[in-house]
Amino acid sequence: MIASLDVIEVLLALCLMTTALLCLFDRHLVRACCCFGVFTLSMALAWLTLGAPWLAIAEAIIGALLTVPCFFYALGIFPASSSALPRYDHFKEPLTRGMTRTLLALAWCVMVGTVIRFVLPAMVYSPLEHPLLFVGVVIVATAMGAFAWHRHLLRRLLAFNVMGSGVFLLLAGMAGTSVQGQALITIGLVVAWLGSLLSALLIRTLYLREGPAALLGASEPQESKQ
Amino acid sequence: MMWRFGLADSTFEPLLTSHWALAIALCLPLVLGGLAAVWPPKRMWVVALACAPLLTSGLLLLVDFTQIGLLRWQGEVLGVSIGLRLNGVSILLLLLTQWLGAASALYTPGLLNVSPPERLARWLWPLMGVVVSALSLVWLATDLITLYLALELMGLAAVGMLLLSGKTPALFASMRYLLLTLVGSLAYLLGVALLLGYWGQVDLAGLAQVVEPGPVTWVAAALIGGGLALKAALFPLHAWLSPVHASAWTPVSALHAGLVVKASLFVLLQLWSILLPDTFWAPRLVAWMGMLAIIWGGLIAWRAESLKTLVASSTVAQLGYLMVVFPLLLGPNVGPLAKALAWEGFWLQLMGHALAKAAMFLAAGNLILATGETTLKGLAGCSRKLPLSLLVFGIASVTLMGLPPSAGFTAKWLLLQAMVISQQWWAVAALLIGTLLTAAYVFRFFRYSFMETAPRHHYQPLSPGMDIIALCLALAAFVLGLLAHFPLELLHGGSL
Repeated sequence: MIASLDVIEVLLALCLMTTALLCLFDRHLVRACCCFGVFTLSMALAWLTLGAPWLAIAEAIIGALLTVPCFFYALGIFPASSSALPRYDHFKEPLTRGMTRTLLALAWCVMVGTVIRFVLPAMVYSPLEHPLLFVGVVIVATAMGAFAWHRHLLRRLLAFNVMGSGVFLLLAGMAGTSVQGQALITIGLVVAWLGSLLSALLIRTLYLREGPAALLGASEPQESKQ
Repeated sequence: MMWRFGLADSTFEPLLTSHWALAIALCLPLVLGGLAAVWPPKRMWVVALACAPLLTSGLLLLVDFTQIGLLRWQGEVLGVSIGLRLNGVSILLLLLTQWLGAASALYTPGLLNVSPPERLARWLWPLMGVVVSALSLVWLATDLITLYLALELMGLAAVGMLLLSGKTPALFASMRYLLLTLVGSLAYLLGVALLLGYWGQVDLAGLAQVVEPGPVTWVAAALIGGGLALKAALFPLHAWLSPVHASAWTPVSALHAGLVVKASLFVLLQLWSILLPDTFWAPRLVAWMGMLAIIWGGLIAWRAESLKTLVASSTVAQLGYLMVVFPLLLGPNVGPLAKALAWEGFWLQLMGHALAKAAMFLAAGNLILATGETTLKGLAGCSRKLPLSLLVFGIASVTLMGLPPSAGFTAKWLLLQAMVISQQWWAVAALLIGTLLTAAYVFRFFRYSFMETAPRHHYQPLSPGMDIIALCLALAAFVLGLLAHFPLELLHGGSL
């Protein structure tokens, strides 16, 4: 089985996995955003190996050229401004809440894993036959967990974007890169970009108005400043 | 269930006028929104003139539907086939969308004239246009790709509209809503991926023919259901709804609570009726959550401090009524009579609530704008100066409570009949408790508003049009109950 593994796909899968994990769990926000840039470029390469060149171009343009600048804008690095966001996220979630969320993410991972068994029966005998699909499951589950764990708005936004890419990988892995699949993924990419753009504008505005406390998405009612 | 959603083949081709009317209904809101962003309208009659062709297109489609029955369009864009259909439910919801959208648009110039000038105000128009277009597409679409596109456009534009008031709490609430709605759409997309991977179909009619119960279908239905329930603010996932409405502009709230939330519910019902016909547990679970929603939403509205929170929490409870009907629409062992009654009651309740909730938000907005107070205590004694707004609020709450002869009464009558026939006593109890709770929170507000000992405020005069629009919507919800036979005939028109 191992002999039939495509070396390029395995390398890509490993690259995707590492950059996704770094992007999700690095507390240094600039580094995390840079990792997201590398992650999208590897995604574009993954589309190329899956035989969807147009999707690769769309991913490279929308992901690397349009979405990553949104994050740097939210961080206050691009365009350079005096009121950049703090580089580190020091917030620590209480352990009990974190545990329940992690368990939920794990349960989710098991559920999707079982279903993929039905969609692609070959996966049962050689789970590593489709490394990209395998990585997709893990990325979505981890990103889901990270989305639930983090309170920092920018890190939740990053987690959403990584989760989106994982879902696209799953979609392409299960449905192949048919026209319908490519249409769904392209719509998803555009939506993710628009959502990131809107979120980046919101994070920046909230930070300028309310200071660092706003970055944790403080939902307690506050006095509105006109 | 398939014919109910118009997924059968149509007998006749659409007429030439229907093609034009469809194009106008889908594209004109976008064009008008763009034009209004460049030249923001300052007067109500300009908006009325601009909305007239849109409303005409809806009426033309209605006429064509009554003449030739189910209409279908098939097209292909870049190799992806796209299907649209117009059946009884879609035409009713399309008309509702156009009239509610027009009412919100008519209300807006009055609001912008009296509120302090906001930098982002002109963005409201294009976003409103996108929401109306996307909603129309949701009612018409018959394949998973178009539905995804329409839901996403609607969701993003709705978030944009809700944060335009620019207050900090509104921004916090919108940020939370944005992240949740994006994650909800990823769940939906993953469900679609499973369906596409296993059955190879994205067309709803084709999917209905090949789909079989099994783990893949159940998990796909669960993912799609979870994602859409999050977007539709169904009970345990409703927490984002009240904060979002608390500081948004009133016409935006009216459009959002009236229609945007229900579009996700519509898609949920449509997809589950394909994926999970005659399953026992899934609709039951939704119904139990609906019962909790009725009680929880009612209690929150009853204890609410501010008027907007009251109206928004009542949306959670009213969505509960729609959730309680799920076992009758989807479950096994339901007789044909009960199923038909539940089907009629469901859509009548949805339409009545959309009209009444929009009227209630506009009336509440008028009260808040005129007095400058948002809390119930602050609004005490407002009956002396603002009787008309209060009257509109009263008429709208008659529909929400379900007193005769409003649409709420007729809908609940149909639903109760269906529930008694199929012996769903828990649902009957939930419906009755919900009515009592609605009365409790509505009369709590009225008790404050008629207080004679309250201090007198300075009142901001509002343009009379703002009250008249709200009154028209409230009366429409009221009259819909009396003239219910007309929409109900349309709902059956799909069965021919």
